[in-house]
Amino acid sequence: MKERIKELLEEMLPLLDLESDFLYSELDSLGVTTILMTLSEEFGIELDAKDATPKNLRTLDSIVQMVEGKLKTAPSPSLPRGGGSND
Amino acid sequence: MNCEITPEKRPPSSGGGTEGGCIESFLRQWAERCPDKPAVICDGETVTYGQLWEQATRLSQQYRQEAPRAQVIRSTQSIGFLLTYFACHLAGKAIVPLENDCSESKFTGIQDEINACRIPDHVADILYTTGTTGRQKGIMISHRAITADAGNLVSAMQYTEDLLFVISGPLNHIGSLSKVWPAVMVGATLCITPGMKDMNAFLGALRLPYPRVATFLVPSGIRMLLKFARKELAELADRIDFIETGAAPMPQADMEEMCRILPDTRLYNTYASTETGIICTHNYNAGYCVAGCLGKPMKHSAVFITPEGYVACKGETLMEGYVGDEALTASVLHDGTVVTSDMGKIDGQGRLHLTGRSGDIINIGGYKVNPVEVEDAALAFPDVADCICTASPHPALGTALKLVLVPRNGSAVDRKALAAHLMQKLERYKVPLLYCLADHIERTYNGKPDRKFYQP
Repeated sequence: MKERIKELLEEMLPLLDLESDFLYSELDSLGVTTILMTLSEEFGIELDAKDATPKNLRTLDSIVQMVEGKLKTAPSPSLPRGGGSND
Repeated sequence: MNCEITPEKRPPSSGGGTEGGCIESFLRQWAERCPDKPAVICDGETVTYGQLWEQATRLSQQYRQEAPRAQVIRSTQSIGFLLTYFACHLAGKAIVPLENDCSESKFTGIQDEINACRIPDHVADILYTTGTTGRQKGIMISHRAITADAGNLVSAMQYTEDLLFVISGPLNHIGSLSKVWPAVMVGATLCITPGMKDMNAFLGALRLPYPRVATFLVPSGIRMLLKFARKELAELADRIDFIETGAAPMPQADMEEMCRILPDTRLYNTYASTETGIICTHNYNAGYCVAGCLGKPMKHSAVFITPEGYVACKGETLMEGYVGDEALTASVLHDGTVVTSDMGKIDGQGRLHLTGRSGDIINIGGYKVNPVEVEDAALAFPDVADCICTASPHPALGTALKLVLVPRNGSAVDRKALAAHLMQKLERYKVPLLYCLADHIERTYNGKPDRKFYQP
């Protein structure tokens, strides 16, 4: 997943240094918007303003963690209606 | 405690320097009458009117010693920036705020340009922008224009002392800087946020315990909120008194959505530019919600359409001219009128409607970009043989810049290196977000890039 996210963000934000430990500080509002949109569309997850924190967008790894966390808590579309837990 | 100062009946200032008749005279009066009233909130710190005045006055002593007539500085979203801003004016200096990430070469280039020109005494601010003429230049704004802009906004949007105004855009741009003026005129409180990059900080500012809260957002900022903070915005519906937008066309769908989410909030679409000042505004949440409608002229302004269909503006808010370029000034400003590049019409009720813009300027989130400037910078990159800079639809931002490029000798172009090269030469908002390769660039019969061919 990390490679895919890296590939996507490199495509959308060519100026961004994805190896940086201070990735958030390099972003502007356009960059934050682009990351939220790109990841929500690619992974079918809901991302909103509350997710756009300096902590979540600090490094590539923290972005990956955010996506993984969302995927864990998001309802799985493959499960039948009312069919079991996502835990 | 009665803190009322009636803007139009203010006593003349006795503070000396350039204070009399300036926005700083209101700052002094609020400092005298209500020294403990919060003037600016930023990053957890609050500065009162008394403190702001005292610190700005002290700092102005330092600027009085400086030789240049105009101080060039990098703007920041901070109380310190406002202190410098007021201190320069109090010292009789003009201030030239540049974008925070402005390169050193651009900074010194502008400093040299400013120092080589005679700046008239009544000029307060020089804002660098790509506007009506399509190339970067310094626009001189007088103290009189600033107070007229403030008066326009105070009366049209009812700025009052109990208002908290949240600033979310860069303070070197007229969109946000012009909101400092009415807020200080009426003794309101400003809250400076880092920008829409940190939507949570912005939303947090809207939640501060003030009876009335208002803000200015460019249409792309509104689009961000609608996409990523719709629920939070709806929860704030009872708190937000008004939201002003401007600087770029706002889509009809976004306007209607804002009216649905904020049914009792006044939602203004304003016609303004650095050259004209703040001219017209329209509350599109009061029964007439039509994209492109920018309402009637405000109290210190007048607007008409030239026989060629261009929007022309008159009144006290107009610029003084372009720094060091009398010919360019005369081409835009004559007979007390600024003729813009915007095409428009005025309806039967006297409301201005924009119908388009002549020329090739691209509007990115309220910033005007001349594509030729981007292309010239890209062509200086060794691997680029030819290119064209175009506008491309973007789902969140409305419009993003795209560079279509032809590699030299079929070589691969390192896009990251190209973007870094552009970053060195241009402001950040002028660096294209999207890049694509082509084997040639379509051109018109006279060899110019065929911009119509690439229009989305």
